[in-house]
Order: sequence, then C-alpha cells, then structure tokens
Amino acid sequence: MTAAQAHFDATQGALIAGGAWHADSAPALPPLKGQTVRILDGAAVTRLDTNGAWLLLNAVRPQASDPMPELRGFQPRHLALLELVAQHFAPTAAHPELPQTDLRAAIGRGTLAIWGHVIGLVNFVGQLTIELALLMGKPGSWRWRELGAQVSEIFAGAIPIVIGMMFLLGVVFAYLLGAQAQQYGASIFVVDGLLLAILREISPVIVAVLVAGRTGAAITAQLGTMKVTEEIDAITTLGLSPQAVLVIPRMIALLVALPLLVFIGDAAGIAGGMLVAQGQLDISPHMFLDRMDSVLRLKTLLVGILKAPVFAVFIALIACRMGLSVTRDARSVGANTTSTVVQSLVAIIILNAIFAVMFVRMNI
Amino acid sequence: MSETVIDVRDVDTTLGGNSIHRGLSLSVARGEVIALIGGSGTGKSVLLREIIGLLKPQAGHVELFGQSVWDSSPEQMNLLRRRFGVLFQDGALFSSLSVEDNVATPLFEHTELPHPLCRQLARLKLSMAGLPADVAGKRPSELSGGMRKRVALARALVLDPELLFLDEPTSGLDPISARAFDKLIRLLADSLGLTVFLVTHDLDTLFSIIDRVIVLSNGRVLGSGTVAELKQFDDPWLNDYFAARAPNGETVDGN
Repeated sequence: MTAAQAHFDATQGALIAGGAWHADSAPALPPLKGQTVRILDGAAVTRLDTNGAWLLLNAVRPQASDPMPELRGFQPRHLALLELVAQHFAPTAAHPELPQTDLRAAIGRGTLAIWGHVIGLVNFVGQLTIELALLMGKPGSWRWRELGAQVSEIFAGAIPIVIGMMFLLGVVFAYLLGAQAQQYGASIFVVDGLLLAILREISPVIVAVLVAGRTGAAITAQLGTMKVTEEIDAITTLGLSPQAVLVIPRMIALLVALPLLVFIGDAAGIAGGMLVAQGQLDISPHMFLDRMDSVLRLKTLLVGILKAPVFAVFIALIACRMGLSVTRDARSVGANTTSTVVQSLVAIIILNAIFAVMFVRMNI
Repeated sequence: MSETVIDVRDVDTTLGGNSIHRGLSLSVARGEVIALIGGSGTGKSVLLREIIGLLKPQAGHVELFGQSVWDSSPEQMNLLRRRFGVLFQDGALFSSLSVEDNVATPLFEHTELPHPLCRQLARLKLSMAGLPADVAGKRPSELSGGMRKRVALARALVLDPELLFLDEPTSGLDPISARAFDKLIRLLADSLGLTVFLVTHDLDTLFSIIDRVIVLSNGRVLGSGTVAELKQFDDPWLNDYFAARAPNGETVDGN
C-alpha cells in the first residue's frame, strides 16, 4: 500500500492526490491557504475511504458554500464515495470555539444548583411525611423484614470501623491533652477533658461522617442503579410506593443504628484514652473510672447521643433523595453519590454548629 | 472477491459447565452481508464475542483477515481492531460523553488527527447514519432507542472499518425504525464495500438485506444459504422459525 501524497499544481489550479487516503493521511495535505482549487485529481489514488474523502474535500472546499471542484481521474468506486461524502458534508462545518464560561455564570449556576437542592429536599420531606402519615394507620404494611436487613447492614457492618477509628482518636486526643496537662501537674484532668470532647463532640460527628460516607453513598448508589434498571418504576406500577418500600425502612434503620454506633464510639474512644492515661500519665484504669464516676454527668452523654438521630434523618433524606433523582445513565449515579457525601458532610457540620450554639444558650 | 474475511474453525466452548459450541466452523467472504440465526441459548452472541476477541474459546481457531485473533500480540490485535467495527445490542454509548465525542473517541485514540478535525469527521458519520445535525451536542441519555443505535452505528463506522459486526441491530426498535435501520445498513454496506456479520432474531431483516444466512443449532452450523435455500431444510426449529412469519401471507421473496 503506497502512502498518501498530494501536491498543488498552481498552473492548473489542481490538487493532485495519490496513494491510500484514510484518517491518518491528513499530514500529507499541502498548505492551501488562499488558493482556489478548481480541480481535484485522483488518478493515482489507490485506496479511499470516507475519512480520506472528507479530508480531500475539506482541503479543496473549506466552506460548504464554495463551488465543488471538478473531480478528475478518480476510479468509479472512489467517485461514488466522494459523492456520498459530499452529500453529508454540510453538518461537518467547523464549529466556532465555544466561549469560555465566565466566573459570574459559574457562580450563578452554582447558586441555582444549591437552591434546587434545598427546594428538592423540602419537597421530598413533604412527600415522605404524607407517605408516613398513610403508613401510620396500617401497621401491617410496614416492611419489617427490609427494616431488619437494613439495620443489620448499617449497624453491624459499621461496628468494626467505628471501634477502630474512635479508639485511635481517643488515643491521639488523650496523648496530646496529657502532654499539656502534665506540665502543670494536672494529669488527672485529662480524664475530664477527654470525656467531654469524646462524648459531646468527637464521637457523634466522626461516627456521623463515617456513616454518611459508608451508608449514605451506598444508599444513593443502590437506589440510583435501581432507577437506571427501572426497578423503581416496577415498584410504582405494582401499586407500591417507593417511599414506603425503600426510603422509610432505610431512614428508620439509620435512626436506630446511628445513636447505637455513637455509643459504641464513645466506649471505644474512652478505652483508647484509658490506655494512654495508663501508659503515659500513670493513671490506672481504676483511677480513671473513679474520676469518670465523679465528673461525668449523664447530660454530657445524652447531648452526644441525642444529636445522632438528627444527623441520621438528614443523611437518610439526602441519600434517598439523591438516589431517586438519578437520571437514566451511569454518569449521574456517580455524580449523585458524590453529591450525597458532600451534602451530608456539610449538613452534619452545620447542624453540629447549630447544636453547639443552642446548647450554650440553653446552659446545657 | 472470494477473499475470506472471517474464518472460524473447530471452535469448542463450554460456559459454566454447559457445552455451547462443539466443533463449530464457518467462514465469511469479503463483501458478504451475513446473518447468524439460531434459537435462544445456541450461543450466537457468545460466538460473536469470540470472533471479536472478547471471550476465549476452549479450543479452535478464529481468524480475521487471515490473522489469528487469539494468538496475536496485543499490538497486532490493536491494529486488527482498527479494521472492524462493532455495534453492541444496546448501543453501549459512553454516557459521560456527548454524542459527537462518543463517535469521535476511536479517532481520538487511534489517529494523530487534531481533536476539532476528529469531531468534524464524527459529524460526517452521524450524518451518514441518518441523524440530524443537532444531536451532535446532546448526551446519549437524551436520545431515543433508535437514535442511540444510529449513534452506535456511526461510532462503529468512524474508522472506516472493512468489517462490521452487529449484535441484534433491530431489537428494541419499532417496525418502522427497524426497517429504516435495515436499509441504512445495506446502503452503507453497498456504498462503503463493507462485509457485515450480524446476529439477529428479526425475520424481516433476513428477508430484506441479507445475502446469506448461517443457522446455529446444537453447537454446530446446521446450514447456510439464502433464505429460499434454508426453507428447503428439513429441521423442526427452522420450520417453526419460518412458519412464525408465513401465515401473514406477506411477500416472501428471499432476495
């Protein structure tokens, strides 16, 4: 197979092409700027496909409005192909580069997207409330089995990671706190600080973040894939409500599982702190527990654990809404899963800040 | 014109303990438009996947353009892949790319052309596949099933392959779109000199655009020939197959 070549004959105004013309032949085209080509000579063309034909036509006729040059010397097969390509030439005109989106447009679009999420969430809460009100009257139509399966997956599956993470955070926190307190001979107050931090702030927030990443993302991906494969539509046409079958069991499961996980996280964090207290600060477990007994008030524990159901509701709402709003392609499953995690994390941080201010104002 | 483009010899396939192909052989010459038919579970799609190098048979040889599919180096295989295009059953368009970029992807990957030029060539193929110019900027999810198939056909054709594989090209289309798609395949096959190998259940496709039909049964090729020739075969499945169409009294003329 001979390589493609072409040269411009200025005296005839002819582009003379030869060899095999296909998509890789573009570099063989001579520069033709400003020249008018009246004749396209293809007597020496050995092979021509549609990509090659388009390259030749595009070279001699940069605008679709330009007159078609005379085609000379082509084999009948090649001529037919050139005519086929010429018929479909119009839509291939070069597009002007799209203008770059400017910053203001991006900010505007981002604001609208956030506003859309807020409206969507409120709307979803409304639907869910109606659904829940309908279900209240009919205990028989609760999906107990689905609820059990969800609780076991969300709760039991998360226990090892919660224990591991909170234990290590307890270790780190007690270590840093201990290094400071030791300078003032106030080692025993490490216990006070550790309990307050772990029970009230660290455990609820960290466990909620963990569950948002683990379970929230899984819920969105699962519901989204069910949407893509039309399973959600099938549920609706069977006369069932996707909210009742899929959303409410997940929400209740999260509502049950998250406070329990926070409690487990509390215990693991305290255990980690206890280990460091013994090793670094010479506070025996017995002393630690004794101090804990005298300084820990029930409300510190309850404040942490009562935050969890609120976090759980928001994680479930966001994850289920994003799952059900997947459109029918693979890309939107990924985009919505990402969005679930981001929205959940933002919601957890904001809610936690609101709680902090609220508790201070209420003198709790 | 008798150069052999597809050559399958003595292929044995076992999937999940079930024997699917037992010593299956067939060949296709350049320029033929071939349909592969057979009952459900006779391994038509499996055979297609073996020919295009997605699934390795337990035994036997598969050659495309005289080159073995399963004994070639990865580089040789990539060169071979440029010479054939595949249309998957549901189009298999990349949902994260626009229609135009979907079609231009093979050009991006396999040629040195600048990207704007690739997109212009992609629009040429979209137009040849009978799509209006405004679909180029859309996403695959915004198109109807018939349009998605046309986009997939444009993508299969964008490197100007000599050989085109189609897996149930008309399934999921309404009869009008299906016949239009048949005509388009035949038109492109004739004008571009393509060899076409398609797997189908669609009798209307067989009667309208096919040169030769290959019938799979019991892990082997039961027979091959024009529709008229196959009707003379005395095989219960084949009789039932053609009987499914006959009562309508439509014109049944082979080719």
